[in-house]
Amino acid sequence: VNIATYARRNLFRRRGRTILTLITIAVAVLIFNAIRTVDHAWKAGAEEAAKDRLATRHKVSITMLLPKRYIDDMRDPSKIPGIKAATWANWFGAKDPRGRTQFFAGFAADHLTWFDVMDEMKVEPAALEEWQRTNNGAILGDLLAKTLEVKVGDDLTIASDIYPGDWKFKVVGIYTPLRKTADRNTMVFRWDFLNNDSRSTFSKEQIGWVMSRIDDPTKSAEISRAVDKLFDERDDQTLTMSERAFQLSFLGGFSAILSAFDLVSVVILLIMMLVLANTIAMNVRERAHEYGVLRAIGFSPGWVFGFILGEAMMISLAGGLAGVALTMLLINGAIGPAIEENMSAFFPYFRTPLPVIALSLVGTLVVGAASGLVPAIGASRRKVTDALRRVD
Amino acid sequence: MVPVRYNVRSLIVRKITTLATAGGIALVVFVFAAAQMLGEGAQRAMVSSGRPDNVIVLRKGSDAELPSGIGNDFKKLGDRPEVAQVAGVGAIGEIVIVITAERADGSGGISNVLVRGTTAEGIAFRPEVKIVSGRAPKPGTNEVIVGKAISGRFKGVGPGQRFEIRRNRPLEVVGVFTAAGSSYESEVWGDLDVIRKYLGRESVVSSVRIRLTDPSKFEAYRMAVEGDKNFSVKATREHDYFQKQSEGLSGFLTGFGMVIAILFSIAAMLGAAITMNGAVANRSKEIGTLRALGFSRRSILVSFVLEAVGLALAGGVVGLVFVMLLSLVSFPVMNFQTFSEIVIGFHASPQIVVSALIFSVIMGLLGGLIPAIRASRVSPVEAMRG
Repeated sequence: VNIATYARRNLFRRRGRTILTLITIAVAVLIFNAIRTVDHAWKAGAEEAAKDRLATRHKVSITMLLPKRYIDDMRDPSKIPGIKAATWANWFGAKDPRGRTQFFAGFAADHLTWFDVMDEMKVEPAALEEWQRTNNGAILGDLLAKTLEVKVGDDLTIASDIYPGDWKFKVVGIYTPLRKTADRNTMVFRWDFLNNDSRSTFSKEQIGWVMSRIDDPTKSAEISRAVDKLFDERDDQTLTMSERAFQLSFLGGFSAILSAFDLVSVVILLIMMLVLANTIAMNVRERAHEYGVLRAIGFSPGWVFGFILGEAMMISLAGGLAGVALTMLLINGAIGPAIEENMSAFFPYFRTPLPVIALSLVGTLVVGAASGLVPAIGASRRKVTDALRRVD
Repeated sequence: MVPVRYNVRSLIVRKITTLATAGGIALVVFVFAAAQMLGEGAQRAMVSSGRPDNVIVLRKGSDAELPSGIGNDFKKLGDRPEVAQVAGVGAIGEIVIVITAERADGSGGISNVLVRGTTAEGIAFRPEVKIVSGRAPKPGTNEVIVGKAISGRFKGVGPGQRFEIRRNRPLEVVGVFTAAGSSYESEVWGDLDVIRKYLGRESVVSSVRIRLTDPSKFEAYRMAVEGDKNFSVKATREHDYFQKQSEGLSGFLTGFGMVIAILFSIAAMLGAAITMNGAVANRSKEIGTLRALGFSRRSILVSFVLEAVGLALAGGVVGLVFVMLLSLVSFPVMNFQTFSEIVIGFHASPQIVVSALIFSVIMGLLGGLIPAIRASRVSPVEAMRG
């Protein structure tokens, strides 16, 4: 008899209990993966943001604007070497007056350069040309166009949280994502259209942020400092950071929620450990007599220890694998695509990534070992005579 | 009926099993109650900022103070018969901005803090505001006070410190205030005109508040100002405004917590089922004896269901005891409307306690029912023969 065979056969002595335990572990692994996926997906847009892009915003507040002439300074290689291209945008606070969607991002951006810098969004050249000709032209992400039920050539009326009244646009193009994390729910229209309107006098010739593409991603810290130093003596100081940090600065208050997620995913592992430890403890108690017999016929305490720990690890691994299968099926197969479709503003990419799956399997193995440890030590240390005499 | 003492002793004999099962349920109840307490905390912090007889006026189309803007003729919004004079003024105009601040915990992370430019009348408008350390800001200066909930959480935003809202235009923190636990405690308050001058926005305010002479006059006031051709504004009861602001956040917190807790409870219920199944299997001899002594199937069923429910309830109580410790902790969350951070407490209410206990009873019932039915079907003769 080797340890594995003995442990395997023992598994199905109490079939109902083993199956319930396996289901518990599988469910726990599924929940663990779901929580970690939310956490991962929340940061994913930011983490997969282009490494060669820098965002420059007002130092004091995300709502304060910069003078438009800053863009000329940033494009001047004699002032800041290393910037290949720079574009800008203003936040529009877009709202659908017909209420078909609760929230989407609308920007007024420079129509000459926006899509050159934001190259994860693919626009047909004909649409871009049409945009240059059409003052009130707007380009929408494919998902947003679907939600708003518009196609190229349609008129589109949008309201704003910041600028009064209704704004009438003409849809000149629809962009599609070239990277999985591209937000497919944004709307971009021409900055000059906003700037020339009498309702935007308070933001005249001002821009929300500059997005620039740099030659060498390793120099991003250096270039960021150079930009901020250039404007340090001006009235409006800047704060330049990676695109990732820029996106996270809007989610600043969310970091605590994410740490709560970390805590909660540890809690589910603890619950799993308690259930598994209970199962193993019950098994061991019922078999105390047997272990006494094994010891009496010459198996060393190490063997008994191995039998019990091996059994715990085997249940946890089997449950873990079942949980991973459930994850693939439910999250990556069904829920993930649905979330990407409907909530792409928050979760442009919602799939359980490989590191999370690996982590969940490591987690179950650790839990298996930890929950088998105490009963295993107890049983292996018990005196043979006690074990044989013990009645439950 | 089988004496309850039998169940209690059975649970005590199987110490490890009992502790593990109750522990699992305790953890689920902990998560369940914690999420609800946080949602309740958010609700309280935001809604308690509002009063039924206060009205907040924003630019038409703006849902929050931050993106709203009303011209300097806003004072006319207070020149109406429905409006009560507070500290000699009818309309309280304020400016609201968010500033970027670096966390003081050394993580280097940045977040957004809400700064409100107000007046002495604006502070008098909210009698719940109390200075708890330092002093009140002198009107017309760059002195500000910081809410207790965020005091010291960010660099430069603590007593005796200063931060800039424009180059070489610092605001100095001279005091810390409380506001009866409302979300005002997550704000910085300074002088309206000084802040507007620093920002170069002398001609606008973000929002206007007025107090009605009587709450029933709201409709009359709303019709009058929304119909006024000189303005393009929307009037909302302050209470409703904050209620709407808090809905997203507290709904998100409780909803998310609920989903997590229900998923967790599946694991805990299976755990309870395993334990009770084991109990039935190990005690079939005892059950047979009880049956032979004359206890009916029904009393065996009731006895085992009671044992499962008792076990779950014990776990639930332990979970509740630990979750109450969270009342001492505050938790920063994000206000979606302003991108700014508000700090809320975990707030227990009798309703949360009751629902957590009901939740644990349900877990015990669902986990224990099938094993209890199995127990009631044990045949006395077979069981005693072993």
